Amino acid sequence: MARNTAGLLTPAQRHLVTRFGYGVDATLAEDVRRAGGASAWFELQLTRPGAFPDGAAEGVRRWWPDLDRGPAELWKRQVEEVRGGWEVMEDYGRWLLVRRIRTRRPVLEKMAEFWEAMLHVPVSGDAQFTWRVDYGDTVRRHALGRFDELLAATTTHPAMLIFLSGATSTKRAPNENLGRELLELHTLGTGNYDEDDVKASARILTGHHVDLWETWKASYVEEDHYRGRVKVRGFSAKNAKADGRRVTEEYLHYLAHHPDTAHHVCERLATKFVRDDPPQSLVRRLAKVYLRNDTAIVPVLQALVASKEFRTSAGDKLRDPSEDVVATYRALGVEVGRPRSGDSGANAILWQASGLGLSPHAWPRPDGTPVRNDVWASPARALGSMSMHWSMAGGWWPTAELDYRTPSAWVPAKKPIRFADLVDEVSRDLLHRPASKHLVETACLATGCGRKEKIDREHGLYQWGFPRLLAAVLDSPDHLAC
Amino acid sequence: MTTDQFQTSCGCSDYDEARTALSRRALIGTALAGGAIALGPSLGGSGPRAYAVTGRPATRLANPAGSVLVLLSLRGAADGLSLVVPHADPTYYAARPRIAVPRESLLAQDAMFGLHPALAPLLPMWEAGTLAAVHATGMATPNRSHFAAMEAIEDAAPGSTARNGWLNRLLGELPGVSPLQGTAMGNQVPTSLFGTNPAFVVGRVDNAKVAGTEEDGRRLASLKHAWKGTGPMSRAVRDAISGAETFGAARDLPAGQPATAYPGSGLGKALSDVSRIVRSGVGAEVITVDQGDWDMHTDAGTVEWGEMKRNAGDLAASIAAFFADLGPAADRVTLVTLSEFGRRVKENDDYGTDHGFGNVMFVAGAGVRGGRYYGSWPGLANSLDSDLLVTTDYRSVLTEVVTRRFGVSVAQVFPGFAPQAVGVMA
Repeated sequence: MARNTAGLLTPAQRHLVTRFGYGVDATLAEDVRRAGGASAWFELQLTRPGAFPDGAAEGVRRWWPDLDRGPAELWKRQVEEVRGGWEVMEDYGRWLLVRRIRTRRPVLEKMAEFWEAMLHVPVSGDAQFTWRVDYGDTVRRHALGRFDELLAATTTHPAMLIFLSGATSTKRAPNENLGRELLELHTLGTGNYDEDDVKASARILTGHHVDLWETWKASYVEEDHYRGRVKVRGFSAKNAKADGRRVTEEYLHYLAHHPDTAHHVCERLATKFVRDDPPQSLVRRLAKVYLRNDTAIVPVLQALVASKEFRTSAGDKLRDPSEDVVATYRALGVEVGRPRSGDSGANAILWQASGLGLSPHAWPRPDGTPVRNDVWASPARALGSMSMHWSMAGGWWPTAELDYRTPSAWVPAKKPIRFADLVDEVSRDLLHRPASKHLVETACLATGCGRKEKIDREHGLYQWGFPRLLAAVLDSPDHLAC
Repeated sequence: MTTDQFQTSCGCSDYDEARTALSRRALIGTALAGGAIALGPSLGGSGPRAYAVTGRPATRLANPAGSVLVLLSLRGAADGLSLVVPHADPTYYAARPRIAVPRESLLAQDAMFGLHPALAPLLPMWEAGTLAAVHATGMATPNRSHFAAMEAIEDAAPGSTARNGWLNRLLGELPGVSPLQGTAMGNQVPTSLFGTNPAFVVGRVDNAKVAGTEEDGRRLASLKHAWKGTGPMSRAVRDAISGAETFGAARDLPAGQPATAYPGSGLGKALSDVSRIVRSGVGAEVITVDQGDWDMHTDAGTVEWGEMKRNAGDLAASIAAFFADLGPAADRVTLVTLSEFGRRVKENDDYGTDHGFGNVMFVAGAGVRGGRYYGSWPGLANSLDSDLLVTTDYRSVLTEVVTRRFGVSVAQVFPGFAPQAVGVMA
């Protein structure tokens, strides 16, 4: 990867593409410049992501062929001990991480990640692994579309039905799991429904079936569907037919368009992309846009980015574990090659994310990967991040099928460079911003070098101390916050 | 891999084996990663040695004979009616035709209750009088949202908007000074420990160190400088540094090999680490541990198969191994189990139960008047909605533990709460 030495984006531009991306590298900066600025880039990312050729990211899928096998085949291979479902799920997490490192369509990627976390089906579960990749692909197709269509596609998706017990729920004693979390986590939000709503919600969803442990085919079983009047908040249906799929559709459409859902969805968006505890005035504004546009997602994101609250939030969000790992690869310009063994970087990257506290979509609870900082601002996370930054800065682990840059990328061959200038070069390259005075001081402490000390290729810093400098930059708030 | 997992599973044993293999493999992978990082070449000798070599502070428990509280959270809402079965309440068997635990299989029976047979590893503690159960416990009003209920039960200060968990408030009442005084096993600070007093979080004891600080103090000095601010991450970095420094004695202590071995589960590993922390005397007085997978909407199963059998067996074997492993330190340690809510009385159509209300709490170890069941039994009803009603506020149980073991005032830990006498603690 080329060094990121071209002119820097302005701080406002950097803020937008950092918050909605995975770290600014030379390619991204060039994409922004070519689009005519960050706003134009964002608009293109939202409306025509295909304008950014993404072959390097698309091709990665072929590295893990199990991602494209169907549920029955995956299950057969698990039963016959060819390959466990958990291994396929590990591949899924790896694919996502490497894709995020390489993609030139980060906004689509980021929104797919956002919805997959909100409408959460954990990868580290049981039976749902059979359908889990298809679930992610489904979310991705709707990631910049309309929430009502996204909700319809996810709620009755076999992976969701399996995870939240909808796949086997029947009218005899309806299972409340999916009906409840649909209301609490996916639409209206906590406190906006009562226990009768939960029961009716569960009744509406009976009939959707997955043939567990056998063919894994999804079907609709009319004799399992509860018939009779159902009411959830303002939604009411006679629900007299044996086939309740139409009622399910109407119910989900109703929920998607409910003002409480608008508020719930927009609050999560603002928490993720603006800041923790976003102002309620902003959430209300976004909810209006959501409802006015028939649950379309793009206008909401446009309004969010145009808000004063967004513009003034630079640096307010802490990167979560996966974001930290991906941003570190991008910052260091580490080239990830096709894996040839379990220890290959493209495989080991998953352990790096879990070492920081969480690999992609492995959050064990139905509420999905948290979007608030405080969950990730823990000592365990800090120790994990420092460990990962240290090993990556030195290029010590992982090493297989990875290409790290060496100090010669920064220290000129002929003329020595002042240490403070070197820190600035590294900062511009890794973080796409000039080194602050604070960062230079930090780097001096980390390396023992003075600001004016001349660094050449004979210097100890170049010879064996360079990881200390890189780690100091990666450990800093300038890298961990975005 | 976190132990905090909700469940969705079949009852088939093949698949359960595959799941176990998953956890095992994931942990091996993580361990491999940790080992590989440690192989990085030394950076010693570069530049001036301007900073002192990082020492290991002599911080120890203020009182080496002091009490330790282990709060074990059963995440996902455990079914207390399966763990401690009210066999003399006929409604129990009527409401659960398929998943009720048969009376003849129950352990430690009295006239009303008996333990799930998978809890057999705990029978010696029960008979020795160091394990008790308090039934029909919970919050004052039902809250069937996992997430809202966890927040409420761990914050334990209804009406207060301060984000201070009850264990964090307890820390404020304790005289100790160790940065590890409040320690959570896992990756995140749980609500119970969240607040103004520092809390350390650790996944595995062996990983609780700052990479790259072996040679000199430069990396620590630069980290402290970089994170001088007041934000949550600044605090986390500083807590990580001071905690990891103090943690050395626990890292140096090998894992115990109790006569009853720890299960290979996440809970078994976590409690094995808790034992190291306690025995090493690094000053941890309040420790939180999670066991997940209790959200059994499907396949809770029967005494022959299912998630209940598996999870209860893991819980019992882990706790039994933990107290055996503690050795003489067991005299200082009290363990309490808590779940965000219980399950409904009636089983659903999937060999499971939906979200309910009242639950059972176990209290084990130091100071426990064990070998018996506590609480007032409200009787069960058999309808779609019926719950085990709460007759003992969970805070009354916790109050006895913290006042008897730590000698603190309940007013600070549970503001505005008037506890009722339970009698479970001596």
